[in-house]
Amino acid sequence: MSDTSNELISWNLNGEVVQNESGMTIMEAAKAHGIEIPCFCYHPGLSIAGNCRICMVESNRSPKPIISCSERIAEGLEIQTDSEKAVDARDSVMEFQLINHPLDCPVCDKAGECVLQDHSYEHGPDRSRFVEDKNIRHTKELGPTIDIWGNRCIVCTRCVRFCDEISGTSELCVVERGDRSVVDVFPGIPIDNAMAGNTVDICPVGALISTDFKYEARVWNMDRTTSVCGGCSRGCNVEVEALDGFVKRLMPRENLDVNDWWMCDHGRYGWRHLYADSRQVTAQTTEGSVLPAEASKALQQTLESSSSTGFLVDPFMTCEELHLVKQLADSMTGSRVAGWLPADGTEESFPGGFTISAAKYPNRKGVEEIFGADVFGSAASTLLNDIASGSVDTVVAFVGGHGFDGAGAEWNAALSSAKNRVVFTTQQGAWSEGAHLVLPATAPLEKEGVWINEDNRAQRVRSCRSLTDQNFPSELVILQEVQAHMELRSRSLSAAGVFRELSESSSAFEGHSHSSLGDHGTPLSQKPAAVGSEGGES
Amino acid sequence: MANHEETPEEKPETATTEPREKATFGMPLIKGLANTLSHILRNEPNTIHYPAEKRTPFPGYRGEHRLKRDELGREKCVACFLCSTACPAHCIEIVAEEAPWGDREKRPRLFNIDMMRCIYCGMCEEACPCDAIELTPVYNIPSRSRGEKIYNKEKLLSL
Ligand code: SF4
Ligand code: SF4
Ligand code: SF4
Ligand code: SF4
Ligand code: FES
Repeated sequence: MSDTSNELISWNLNGEVVQNESGMTIMEAAKAHGIEIPCFCYHPGLSIAGNCRICMVESNRSPKPIISCSERIAEGLEIQTDSEKAVDARDSVMEFQLINHPLDCPVCDKAGECVLQDHSYEHGPDRSRFVEDKNIRHTKELGPTIDIWGNRCIVCTRCVRFCDEISGTSELCVVERGDRSVVDVFPGIPIDNAMAGNTVDICPVGALISTDFKYEARVWNMDRTTSVCGGCSRGCNVEVEALDGFVKRLMPRENLDVNDWWMCDHGRYGWRHLYADSRQVTAQTTEGSVLPAEASKALQQTLESSSSTGFLVDPFMTCEELHLVKQLADSMTGSRVAGWLPADGTEESFPGGFTISAAKYPNRKGVEEIFGADVFGSAASTLLNDIASGSVDTVVAFVGGHGFDGAGAEWNAALSSAKNRVVFTTQQGAWSEGAHLVLPATAPLEKEGVWINEDNRAQRVRSCRSLTDQNFPSELVILQEVQAHMELRSRSLSAAGVFRELSESSSAFEGHSHSSLGDHGTPLSQKPAAVGSEGGES
Repeated sequence: MANHEETPEEKPETATTEPREKATFGMPLIKGLANTLSHILRNEPNTIHYPAEKRTPFPGYRGEHRLKRDELGREKCVACFLCSTACPAHCIEIVAEEAPWGDREKRPRLFNIDMMRCIYCGMCEEACPCDAIELTPVYNIPSRSRGEKIYNKEKLLSL
């Protein structure tokens, strides 16, 4: 990361005079003009090491090629990125990189997203002049989630710098010298921090491998969904990668306003709840199971026969689902809405500026925006009292999320004592046992819609389609069908359509739409410019 | 465009009415019968009395697949998925697992080829970096059920 100032500097890039802010490195400035210079050791989130030399370019100020990731632009500097000298320098670096590299791409889990493969394609020689034996370096466990294949390491030190600068745990170091250098940990101190998984992502080659994903899939076979992690209120932007409909791994997605390039390991490995044996996958009444097509009818009948209904929402529901619940509640006399919150965890802060929030609810702000600030406070205690006193006929509870303990002890007990209850739940448990109607709920990563994180940033979540669409309609569909049966709605809409309704009916959401939120989200208070006018942020 | 409009006018009226070359059946018939007769007299039928008599496939013939074994009798396949990536018919299904041997990392836990979808193109053989999969010249591979046509790892290794 370079410190820039607003002063503009004129320099010459491949024969063209261009301008950039002073203090930018040649690589960053060239990228701003659409010219990508290859790199291994450079990472925008880490300090500059300048050790791999693949980024060499020709300069008018130096007899030898210079490295563009650390040299800064200057007035009158002339840079050639594709001159014979520059390309030749990079070709030679590539040849050196491949001297000891095992080239075991066919069995390497990084193959397909490997920076060395990419640059080798462009700069690598098609055959090796190296006839000596290759160095053998260690293959071993570095920590509970990470293994190293030392032979593949190109000693870029990205992982080492990450542990020094971002996680601040400094477990990794480079041992040995020269072509024997390799990354290792100190004896008895494994790499075991809550951000460790990021080292695997930033390793440009397949040296660091996540044991969780090892041998699971080849990366080119997976389907990717851009979504948001539901692990805490931070709402890290993620990419969900699935093979044949089964999630295989989560990767962080760059968003400088939320999570930079990182995510924590709790979120990264926290998707197995999707496939838990206790997952609720069918709809059930006390009499037996209900077909997916009849679920909404069953819910409608329950609601219509109830004289007073309490809705219990959770902070994992999307704004769209909450909006539909609000419409239902508003249409029914004697209904009330409250919310439950999962227990707080502990906050973890890292020197690099990354914080894992103690609050484990991704859309608390959304619930409060739609149902008012006291939905988790006074409204909740009122509903608890009403259930205890028997003045609520039916409770419709949403017990989603990724936890296995339902809505918490107090609510679980209250739910079990309710006269009638309908439970949308992700996992089976005491709260759903014996319920009048149990419906499967979508878990985080399966939802379509919008969540609002702790900084009031509205972000799009997309479904990786692991349960919904395959087995059972989502809440978004069921709630709309119920509204249709009750003649509150003439046709069902997509999540984007429901969000449009919400933005038309609520001043907080006014002006926002799924497309204006884009892939990186927008603060709720920052209204997007009208379509077609200038300055709109996407 | 201009040319296109002119064509109907330019088309000579006579095109369809011009006399066709007269079709004669006599000579071709005689030639054909002569050919037949010469074969009868030579007494060398090209027909093979299959299945009593088996045909020897020419070199490079692409038939049934097999997975090869190394000198120690272990499968050579390292579960790299390159064959299934190259396969245009998407008929190779692989699930990898950790190999119990020190000299390699992966081996296939599952290796299924759907022989009914296979088009015997040989791309899998060509893609394999370990020379582990091969199309043999075996062409007579009938079966009594569809299930038998899904060759699993054990079957492929036994061929
Ligand atoms: S690190 Fe990259 S180049 Fe090396 S074996 Fe793995 S995929 Fe191939
Ligand atoms: S393990 Fe990967 S990130 Fe770390 S120094 Fe080696 S190549 Fe770079
Ligand atoms: S021969 Fe062709 S179609 Fe058949 S398995 Fe191999 S690659 Fe696929
Ligand atoms: S290409 Fe060869 S080594 Fe790779 S999975 Fe197929 S048969 Fe196995
Ligand atoms: S990217 Fe410039 S030296 Fe590594």
